Amino acid sequence: MPEWMRGARSNANGSLIDQSHESPEESSTPHQTDSSQRSLPSPHPDRSLRSAKLAALRARLSLSSKIPLQVLARALVDPSADAHPRFNNANLAFVGASLLQYHTSEWLVTRYPRLPMGILFAAMKGYAGEPALDRIARAWGVEAAAAPGEEVDPGYLQFSPDKPTVMMHKWGYARAEAKELTKYKWRRGMSSRVVFDDPFGKTIPEQTEELEVSDARNIREMIVPDTEKNAHANLVRAVIGAIYLHCGSETAKTFIKSYVLSRELDLSNLFNFKLPQRELTRLCARENFEPPVARLLSETGRLSRTPVFVVGIYSGHDMLGEAAGASLDAAKISACINALKAWYLYSPGDVGLPSDTLAEDATPWRPVYVDIGEIIS
Amino acid sequence: MTIRALEKVSVGQNGIGAFILQCRKLDVHYCNQSGSSRGMNSFIKSQLSKFASLNPQIEFAVSPRPRKHPVLIGHYINGKHKSICVKNMDSLQILKKAELLRDASGDKIKRVNKPITSINESVRGVWSPYHGNGMAV
Repeated sequence: MPEWMRGARSNANGSLIDQSHESPEESSTPHQTDSSQRSLPSPHPDRSLRSAKLAALRARLSLSSKIPLQVLARALVDPSADAHPRFNNANLAFVGASLLQYHTSEWLVTRYPRLPMGILFAAMKGYAGEPALDRIARAWGVEAAAAPGEEVDPGYLQFSPDKPTVMMHKWGYARAEAKELTKYKWRRGMSSRVVFDDPFGKTIPEQTEELEVSDARNIREMIVPDTEKNAHANLVRAVIGAIYLHCGSETAKTFIKSYVLSRELDLSNLFNFKLPQRELTRLCARENFEPPVARLLSETGRLSRTPVFVVGIYSGHDMLGEAAGASLDAAKISACINALKAWYLYSPGDVGLPSDTLAEDATPWRPVYVDIGEIIS
Repeated sequence: MTIRALEKVSVGQNGIGAFILQCRKLDVHYCNQSGSSRGMNSFIKSQLSKFASLNPQIEFAVSPRPRKHPVLIGHYINGKHKSICVKNMDSLQILKKAELLRDASGDKIKRVNKPITSINESVRGVWSPYHGNGMAV
C-alpha cells in the first residue's frame, strides 16, 4: 500500500473519530509500515459511501441520516478482522453494550419488581445476551463476508474465526478470587453477583480490564468460543453505540425498545424450583400471611390408572395457587409453584422508567416498588 | 438459592416494535438484443430508478444476461430467493412483479387454515373438566 493512501485513510478516520467524540489519544499511523504491498485488513472508509448494501442496511433499520455511512461500515468490522481500535467496532460496541444493559435491566426491574436475582440475570441474557443479539443481527439481513479484507464490500459483516476478538461484557470488576473460582469451583452467592460480575451473573475473567483492543492486547488471550455469534452480537451493540453518539440517548432508547425489548420472552418458563413448598412457607412467614395449607379441591379416578387431583394452596381463606396432578404430591408441588410464580411475576403495569426522567421536560422521578429480595438466599 | 434459572432466548416477531422488509436484494437481468426483453428494457429506463428510490431498503443489482429471457430475482433475509421470468411482459406488468417480490416474506407459500396464529397464551385459558359445577348425567 502506498504511503499517501495510508495517510488518507488515517485522515478520513481521524475526522470520523472527532465527530463521534472518541478518545483521540493515538496519533501514529494506524498500521505498521513493514511492507509497501501490504493491504488493509478492512475496507477503506471512503468506499462505504458507494456501497449499496450499506445504504440498504441503513434504510432497512430506518437509521437517521445523521449516522454517517462510514460509522455504519465501522460497526460491521469485528476486532478479529481489524485489530486497530480506530477501524473496528469494539469502542462503539462497548458504548452500545452499556446502554443495552442499562435499558434492559431498568425495564425488567420496574416491570417485574419481584423477580429473584437468578431469574433476572437469565431474563437479561434472554433479551440482551449474546444469543438474542445474534438472532437480532441475523434478522437484519446482514451477510457475513467469507474472509475480511480490503477488497470486501463494506456492507458485509467482517470477522475471522481464527483470530482473537473481544467479548463485550467481559470488562469490568474482576473478583480477586477469580482464579480460584474457576480452578476449585468456589461457590459465590447470588447477591455478590449483583456487584461483582457481568450483567448476566457470570464471573469476569482476570486480565481483561483494558478497553484497548490492539494487536498486543489480542495476542494474549480472549479467544471467544463462537466467533460468528460474537461478531453478530457486537454488530447490534455497535449500531446502538453509533446511534447514541450521533442521534442522542432518546433515539438509542427508542431503538433498543423497538428491536430488543419488543421481543417475546415468557419469564414464567425461566423458573426451575428446587424446594417450592419450603419457599412458599418462608414467603408467607416473611409477608405475615397465614401459613400455607394444601387442600384437595376435587379428584377423579383415585383407584384408576389415570387419577387426577386438583389441589389448592390456601393461606387462611385466600387461595394462593391451584394445580392438577396425577398424584397428591405432584399436584401439591405444582400448586406451590403456581403460587410462587404468581408472586414473583407480579407486574405493576406501566410505571415509567428511570431513564424517562433524562428527557428535558420530564416530571421528577417517583420511586417505584421493588421487592426487598430473595426469600431463601 | 432454591430457584435455578433456565436459559431461554427471546423470540422476535417482525412488525412488533420494528418492521424489517424481508426482501433484501433484487436482481434485475435483461438482454439488449432479444425481443422478450423489450418490456424489461423500458422498465429499467423509465421506472426502475423511481422504484429503487421508493424502496431504499432493497439493494438493486442490474446486470445483462445476453441471449436469455429477462428475470427478476428477489433475495430474502431468511436465505431463500424467488425468481420470476418476465419475458414478453410490458413495463407495468414487470413493475407489478417487482412489487410482488418486494412484498413477499421469502417463506414458502403455506395454506393458512386458522384465522389467528399467535405465540401468546390464550387469554381465556384451556377448558378444564375439574372446575365449575359439573353436569348432571
